[in-house]
Amino acid sequence: MADLTLNDVTKVFTEDDGNEITAVDEVSVDIEDGDFLVLVGPSGCGKSTTLRMIAGLETITSGEVRLAGQRINEKPPAERDIAMVFQSYALYPHMTVRENMSFGLEESTDMDDNAIEETVEDTAELMEIEELLDRKPSDLSGGQQQRVALGRAIVRAPEAFLMDEPLSNLDAKLRATMRTELQRIQDDLDVTTVYVTHDQTEAMTMGDRIAILDDGILQQVGTPLECYHTPNNRFVAGFIGDPSMNFFEMDVDDDTLVVDRFAYPLKPAQQEAIAGKSRVVFGIRPEDIRIKEPGGISDNYQFEVTIDVVEPRGDENTVHLTFDRNVSDPITFTATVSGLRDVSAGDAVVATFPPDSIHLFDTETGVALHNRTFESEDATKQVL
Amino acid sequence: MTHGPAAAETRSLFGYSLRRIAIYGILIGMTMFYLIPIETGVMTSIIDPTSYTGSFPYLPPLEPLVGGTGEFSLQPWQGALDGLSQGLVNSVILVVPATIFSGLLGSMAAFGLTTISWRGQVGIYALFVAGIFIPYQAVLVPLTQFWYNIVPLRAVFESLAVLPLVETYHWKLVALIITHIAYGLPICTLLFRAHYKKLSDEMVEAAQLDGASVSTIYRRIILPLSVPMFAVVFIYQFTQIWNDLLFALTIVQFGDAAVVTQELVGIGVSQSGTNFPLRMASALLAALPTLLVYIFFGDKFAEGVSA
Repeated sequence: MADLTLNDVTKVFTEDDGNEITAVDEVSVDIEDGDFLVLVGPSGCGKSTTLRMIAGLETITSGEVRLAGQRINEKPPAERDIAMVFQSYALYPHMTVRENMSFGLEESTDMDDNAIEETVEDTAELMEIEELLDRKPSDLSGGQQQRVALGRAIVRAPEAFLMDEPLSNLDAKLRATMRTELQRIQDDLDVTTVYVTHDQTEAMTMGDRIAILDDGILQQVGTPLECYHTPNNRFVAGFIGDPSMNFFEMDVDDDTLVVDRFAYPLKPAQQEAIAGKSRVVFGIRPEDIRIKEPGGISDNYQFEVTIDVVEPRGDENTVHLTFDRNVSDPITFTATVSGLRDVSAGDAVVATFPPDSIHLFDTETGVALHNRTFESEDATKQVL
Repeated sequence: MTHGPAAAETRSLFGYSLRRIAIYGILIGMTMFYLIPIETGVMTSIIDPTSYTGSFPYLPPLEPLVGGTGEFSLQPWQGALDGLSQGLVNSVILVVPATIFSGLLGSMAAFGLTTISWRGQVGIYALFVAGIFIPYQAVLVPLTQFWYNIVPLRAVFESLAVLPLVETYHWKLVALIITHIAYGLPICTLLFRAHYKKLSDEMVEAAQLDGASVSTIYRRIILPLSVPMFAVVFIYQFTQIWNDLLFALTIVQFGDAAVVTQELVGIGVSQSGTNFPLRMASALLAALPTLLVYIFFGDKFAEGVSA
């Protein structure tokens, strides 16, 4: 068990025609001993490349990876004492589950056969795969193969676990179960873990901390709630959360934001945050928007809107709203309401954008100028 | 389609549908078409040479079989075995190591060129591919020069001949083995490479992370997964090398080291005419090993081709 540090890690791929592509650009993250870090981002953002550099499967163009304080850039994968779980599971098809799990111990330790056998059986018990030990991977279901792949990583008791989208080949139900189980196991073993996924739900639910990557550049590192409520920029705000945050590009008119179909008054602190800007991006999360019966508009934060589409999800409904259905380019946005609420397309309602729930971003750079009010005791502790 | 079988059922002959009869008819016809040459060969090989002319070669010998004794003539087979025995032994000495080493080295080369990535491997691989296209005719003279005038293999074997089972003429077989390995290597590498490209990269990476060295990955992961491809390569190389005449004529030329194909050329031919039964028996005898290889490894071969 050890802490893992990435220091300005960069990966440049040189194509055949001499073009250079920067896949990972000066990424720095500290992962404390026993921490569960989720690297999340859209496809092609460099998250898998980062993981492969930690594993030693890709060379590091510049920067440094340290494990337990030791620089490991030059070490071959075999000497890094790191175990990895692959998306395809990558089990050895000609070996039984037992042989798959013993392989790493045979190759990387001096343990005798009895000790290996015992360790494998203990791990198999932990993973609840004892009865599969003498079967070949081809005889196992996807979920069972997944367990074996995890077991193969765990059995070696490595300094760190790397997981490359390990749950993405499972069906939704099993994925949810494995998510919980993985967290439980990681918690029990207390091994430093880096987990790569493109699924923001996995990132939010599993990580002690999450690191959001886009286009090879680290956008934000923080606890899931920090990233959710106080995003560094528009990308993070839009990527984390499902359904996504609503964005409106608006003109600044003194103390008010204006766009074709609505105007939004700002509080003094918000005005200060955007001082000097003529245009900003206004953001608000769907669950922060409140919907009520039409009529009785009592303040400037309320707007008359029409329901365009309703997506029922059971526990809640996602409603797509528009200021005016009858124009060619209606401004639409989404809000979530309780699943028991009776809403249907075409209804006229009043939407409230509470002023302490809004985010403001720079139009060009996307940097967050103002985030919603968010008080978290955990967050303050992290800072200290 | 639901009416198809029912309609076919109505047009039947002795309770069998016409379609079924047609299928069996074609299959039996094709079987006969393929087997008749072999059957003719077998029949010819058990006819007494003196009664060969004047009978249909594909019919069983009627009489006289062996001078009126009522027995089939095994004389041609006896003659073939006597005439080819030295060649058969030499061919086995040649083909077994040449096949195994060309397969094994081809597999190793493909592993190094496919599974492991390193600078310049594409250039090396291009050389391998180019090797497939070098015509035999272009290398015949250099090959003779090489083995007879440059490499002192003969001298080595002259001193080794004191050992049991080693003869001086074996140097020609060793030269032939090395030549066949070298010539077979490109195609073997190509076949294995196609197989290794389909193996999962992640599996090899998992083995790397598990602490396995390059040689361990080959020995414990890649080699066991290559078994079906080895069947394909072994059958292919065995047949190629066993049937080769050109390299044998070039390198062995004549003498004790002659392989079975060389001996087959001259057997049964004399000034008094051609002994067809003897030639036929010899041809069948010389073809027997390749036939056996197909029979015993055919299922593995099919598995490897479809893999």
